[in-house]
Amino acid sequence: MQRSSPPPPVPWVSTTTFHSLPTPAPSPQLLPHLSDGYPITNRPDDFNRTVRMGFQNMDNLQRQRLLAELLDSCNNEQLVFVSNYISPRLKRDFLKELPIEISLHILSFINDPKTLSRASCVSKFWHTLLNDEFTWKNLCVRHHYRRRSSVSLSSPPSPTASESSDLSSNKRSSHFSYKDHFRRRYIVESNWKNGGRTLVTHISTDVGVVTSLQMCRNYIVVGMDNKKIHVFGAFDGKHVKTLTGHEGGVWALQYIDEVLVSGGCDRDVRVWDINTGQCKHVLHGHTSTVRSLKMKDKRIAVSGSRDTLLRVWDIQEGILLHLLAGHEASVRCMEIHGDLVVSGSYDCTARVWDLTTGQCLHVLHGHYSQIYSIAFDGERIITGSLDSTARVWSPTSGQCLGILQGHTSLVGQIQLKDTTLVTGGSDGAIRIWDLETYQCIHRMAAHDNSVTCLQFDNKRIVSGGNDGHVKLWDIQTGTSIRELTSAGNAVWRLAFNDTKAVILLQREGKTIMEVLDFEADS
Amino acid sequence: MSASEAKKITLKSCDDIEFKVDIRVASRSILLKNMIEDVGETDQSIPLPNVNERVLKKVLEWCEHHKDDPQPAIEDSDTRRRNTEIDDWNKKFLEVEQDMLFEIILAANYLDIKQLLDIGCKTVANMIKGKTPEQIRETFNIQNDFTPEEEEQIRKENEWAEDR
Repeated sequence: MQRSSPPPPVPWVSTTTFHSLPTPAPSPQLLPHLSDGYPITNRPDDFNRTVRMGFQNMDNLQRQRLLAELLDSCNNEQLVFVSNYISPRLKRDFLKELPIEISLHILSFINDPKTLSRASCVSKFWHTLLNDEFTWKNLCVRHHYRRRSSVSLSSPPSPTASESSDLSSNKRSSHFSYKDHFRRRYIVESNWKNGGRTLVTHISTDVGVVTSLQMCRNYIVVGMDNKKIHVFGAFDGKHVKTLTGHEGGVWALQYIDEVLVSGGCDRDVRVWDINTGQCKHVLHGHTSTVRSLKMKDKRIAVSGSRDTLLRVWDIQEGILLHLLAGHEASVRCMEIHGDLVVSGSYDCTARVWDLTTGQCLHVLHGHYSQIYSIAFDGERIITGSLDSTARVWSPTSGQCLGILQGHTSLVGQIQLKDTTLVTGGSDGAIRIWDLETYQCIHRMAAHDNSVTCLQFDNKRIVSGGNDGHVKLWDIQTGTSIRELTSAGNAVWRLAFNDTKAVILLQREGKTIMEVLDFEADS
Repeated sequence: MSASEAKKITLKSCDDIEFKVDIRVASRSILLKNMIEDVGETDQSIPLPNVNERVLKKVLEWCEHHKDDPQPAIEDSDTRRRNTEIDDWNKKFLEVEQDMLFEIILAANYLDIKQLLDIGCKTVANMIKGKTPEQIRETFNIQNDFTPEEEEQIRKENEWAEDR
């Protein structure tokens, strides 16, 4: 080992044996400052230099032998000194000294934001490294905090971006930052678990049963059996307008953007412009209550009625396109996907129809009792029935693919997403099913009475029951997280998105709407 | 391939120490595996200018122990990360001073031994997990180079992740 430069004038010289690795020797500032009290300063410098030079000329084995001899002659106090002196020097600042891609790889094994946040307080270098987008992007992926242009991210502009500190490198407040995104979503998630606030509470002046609810980007729309449709702002929950015109209770509604269709006891289908509040069309034809309504898009809608018929409407022009006849009893529920509409009826069958031709493609026989609920994603049709089962059907062949048994009463609530199905029954139970195996993964005794409404996303289920309770569940484990609001007499309807939940319930005899907000900076 | 399984190659560390190892053992390193496939059989030793004897010996000990493992499938990086368990043998294997751990990580990266790199990185990650900033500084002997004002600001900035 050759040494070109003379040893630096420090009491100890770094002689670590890094052979040819591209790693720096411990940085000089790590050398301890020896206090004046040590005897070493009393010795002549010459002697120290001689020892040092001699040491440097030895090979590794000789050095070890000498060190061992010296250490053997030390007393405990001196050994403690050596130990304290050495131990920090054997430590490495891994994240700083390793190549940056390996440092980031190390961080990618850390799953919890608490550790990452604390790590960013360690030093300036760690702070910079911990602001790296890669780490937070990974964390977003693993926490399933997908970046998406939905309600939550698009509008209104989130205040978090402008909040970042002077120290952070994020000066581009208008740019997307995974760290900010993660932080925001993390706070929203913990607010769901144990925070959040009530944004507004509306107590309806007129008594009425809430029959329908939809919450989308701009509006919360509520249909009532007292003929009224109430429209609220989705951001602040404030009442915007009331649409009046129906002459009977409103029992079904749906809206896309500004186009709203509604139907009910007066047998008419009405088409509204929510923005202006104007009723664009009144579509006559059904001879009994319109019990279900679905829109394919802003042009085509289908209504299903107690008169056993389905009607396909052009809601722009206000004309009937097809009359779908075949059911032998009331049409109770309906779902559209692409050009197919599936309908469930009190005649115990479901039917698959072609929207463009008006033809009935399949009749789904199997249930022993009335069908109350239906879900359809293009690949599978699920029907829920009073015979206490749910059935899975193929929309292409019309075959029954599976029977989901377990509920002990009417299966009135159904939601389907990919291979996950959640059902709610009049037995008060919620069941989570895997449609690849047709197995029930979790069963929750959710409510003392019927499950009246439920919704799930990839994290949670929110359910409401005739027992007046609104419950939040972890969809992965099937465990109860908490109740979202104080109990009432009965829960009519609920809906939620990433940051908000709307609950319509009866409490102390009054019809109440609550909007809960789980937003990060609320 | 069966004939070459008993074959050995010679690796030379940067401090000129030679190691005779089974091709099967050496092939845990993708770098060496590709080299052997490219070069074919050779009596010449393969120089490893980035690894010294001490570290190479340790790395080869790992390769020897894992020589019969199935070659890892090409997993996406997320699968690798989710798998955060380190088995007992590897845990014991990595109970070394930080300096050695550091060198093992570098060597695994250079030699392209993904599993070893992963467990090395996981080990470091586990040393960070659950610690306060001061405990992390202590663990890795890092100086706090923030001014008190900066430190306070950063602490505030990261408050959101504390227990909620």
